[in-house]
Amino acid sequence: MLEVIGLSKKYGKTLAADDVNFAVPDGKIGILLGPNGAGKSTVIKSIAGLLRYQGAIRIQGMDARSLEAKKCFAYVPELPYLYDALTVREHIEFIIRAYGACVSEDEIGELFERFELADKQDKLGNELSKGMMQKVSICCALVIKPKVILLDEPMVGLDPMAIKELKGVILDLAGQGCTVLISTHMLEMVKELWDVTFVMDKGHILGTYARESVADEDLEALFFSVTGQAKPSDQDGR
Amino acid sequence: MGAIGFLYRKVLINRVKKALGKPVTYVYLVFIMVYCVMVPYSLKMVAEEFGGDSPQGMAALLTLLAFWLIPGNLIAYAKRRGLVYRNSDVHFLFPAPLSPKQILIYAYLRTLFVQVLLNLFAVIWGGIMFRVDIWRLALYFLFAVLIENALEAGVMLLLYGSERLQEKSRRWIVKGAYGLTGVLVCMGIYSYLQEGLSLQMAMNFLNSDMVQMVPVAGWYIAVVHLLLTGPTVVSVVGTVCYGVLFAGVLVCAWRMKCTGAFYEDAIKFAEDYEEVLNSRRQGDTQKRLGKKQKFGKAHVTWKGYGAKALFYRQLLEYKKSRYFIFDVNTLVAAIGGVGIAYLYLQGGGFSEMEPFVIPVVSAYIIFIFTAMGGKWAKELLSPYTYMIPDSPFRKLVNATAMQLVQSVVNGILITVPGAIVMGQSVWMILLDIVVYVALYANKLYALAVAEIVTGSTLGKVGKQMMQMFLQGTTIFMAVMGALAGMAFGGELLACLFMVLFLILVTLIFMLIAMFNFYKMETA
Repeated sequence: MLEVIGLSKKYGKTLAADDVNFAVPDGKIGILLGPNGAGKSTVIKSIAGLLRYQGAIRIQGMDARSLEAKKCFAYVPELPYLYDALTVREHIEFIIRAYGACVSEDEIGELFERFELADKQDKLGNELSKGMMQKVSICCALVIKPKVILLDEPMVGLDPMAIKELKGVILDLAGQGCTVLISTHMLEMVKELWDVTFVMDKGHILGTYARESVADEDLEALFFSVTGQAKPSDQDGR
Repeated sequence: MGAIGFLYRKVLINRVKKALGKPVTYVYLVFIMVYCVMVPYSLKMVAEEFGGDSPQGMAALLTLLAFWLIPGNLIAYAKRRGLVYRNSDVHFLFPAPLSPKQILIYAYLRTLFVQVLLNLFAVIWGGIMFRVDIWRLALYFLFAVLIENALEAGVMLLLYGSERLQEKSRRWIVKGAYGLTGVLVCMGIYSYLQEGLSLQMAMNFLNSDMVQMVPVAGWYIAVVHLLLTGPTVVSVVGTVCYGVLFAGVLVCAWRMKCTGAFYEDAIKFAEDYEEVLNSRRQGDTQKRLGKKQKFGKAHVTWKGYGAKALFYRQLLEYKKSRYFIFDVNTLVAAIGGVGIAYLYLQGGGFSEMEPFVIPVVSAYIIFIFTAMGGKWAKELLSPYTYMIPDSPFRKLVNATAMQLVQSVVNGILITVPGAIVMGQSVWMILLDIVVYVALYANKLYALAVAEIVTGSTLGKVGKQMMQMFLQGTTIFMAVMGALAGMAFGGELLACLFMVLFLILVTLIFMLIAMFNFYKMETA
């Protein structure tokens, strides 16, 4: 379970997140939505432990900054930055050591096959395309078998096959009881995935919507109605 | 340190393997080896001449380094700078379940390999240049690599990693470090007032007891003196103080709470560092670490079409930047110009070399100091440059025009002061300025020629070396021209021939650069 309790973050005089509260239960997929500058990145970086903040963040009931919480938490940032001098395989080996994960060779092989990295294991980080880097980043997050996973725009740069695979992986993870939080602008990509959506703007959570309570309402329509922005098709009068 | 040890080892091994696979590494190694032998040999002669070829000389040199490094490191750590994290560290290391203290030590240890090499170099040349006993050098090496590094790592943990130190306290530490430097400088001024300015005075000051009595930096200097020159009461007391400091720092660093609050500052620094690194690679020298480049408001009246847009865009960028077209190259040119005039007046002339002093200094400055390509190199990287519907010639001219204007200004600055005191004619002054501009243009266009010659086989360093080789060849040809001119008709003809040779080679480079432009455009 992921809990964000009274999260506030200031950059100088700018309040980027103001008393943000939400929770994603075990086995559920949460979506964090918001226009540019809404404060999503601040919330995500705070959860990942990259920023100083006020309030509390709990992962499986533990303080997100504790090493125990970090052991069961995986993070896929928006832009993947691999080590230039490490091969794909060495990235995975490093992560396994860092997280003390118990992973068999077969499981690693299966992950590489799933994301078409099997023949690229010996490639160095700086020899990969952006899409391939994103796949390695996702594999590094999955290899630790996380209980909570945070994905920031995970579909950017991926080919259709990898997007399909990633969607399958996300559903599998949720099915196994893992908590998933995805931040994205690509509403189309997550429309069949979400269980709960948090719409954010100007540092505040404007609304929380569970799939069962909004029934057939379209995610896109929900987003535009909450943020007060007009849908492009409405503007055109179409 | 399982995961971090693995990361450190693998990155180091893969880097070395990759470097050994590149031909340019061996060229670099030869250069470094030549430098490692040549520089100390020439310094050895200087040291012998001034009586500094003794263990006291080495202790004085290390003291001088300590003056600079110790306060500098304290300031950097207190400001949460000085440790370089890359974006990959932010991605993988910071969210991992690793102790933030280990992550700090990892960044610190990345410099360990180079530090060991430098200390090894210091020890070898300490024996040859300063005739220090081998056992003393061995002890110094162990001290520098193990003890001093452990202490610095401890200080780094306490300052960089501390979550109790408030911003105000950090500012006080920075002020304290400046104060430390101030105390050492005041002591130097006192010694100067007592003994007058001489190399012997500097040696006496750097080996004096009072320097070893300064807290923190002085205690390190005391240990260095104890190890290299033997015990004195002050060096023994200073060493004891160092020992107490060492134990205190390590205990405090061990017990200090650190949950990773420094990550936010480290990320900011990593982003700035990558940005500055990328800018430097493209020849932009204006970006400074930790300081956002400020742009003012400006306006240009756009005239013409096609490649003219490149010229006006650059003009707008220059007008928006704080110092317009003036940058570090302008400063270097001004210092060079004033330096030539000063040396002329001090030495009472430059004998028969007089007409060639300004061109030689110009060539040296352009060859060594100026950035690889500046805005021109940036234009070559931008796809828009190739997409503009205009002829390659007009693109080349417009993309480099502002930099040539810059070079005219710099040429005037480096030429005029010296030329006036030397009483040179207007023609000679003009020729000297043209030499500077032609050399600068040559460097610009040599970049494009180097692109053609090296392609993607030798990488960025190979390209840079090829550019230097081409420019070196041009300078050699210009010198030949000058010699021919001198043989036929004297100084003015020598300068004229030099300029003609330079312009001729530069025009050839320009044509090749233009062809390259066309080729890329149509590829």
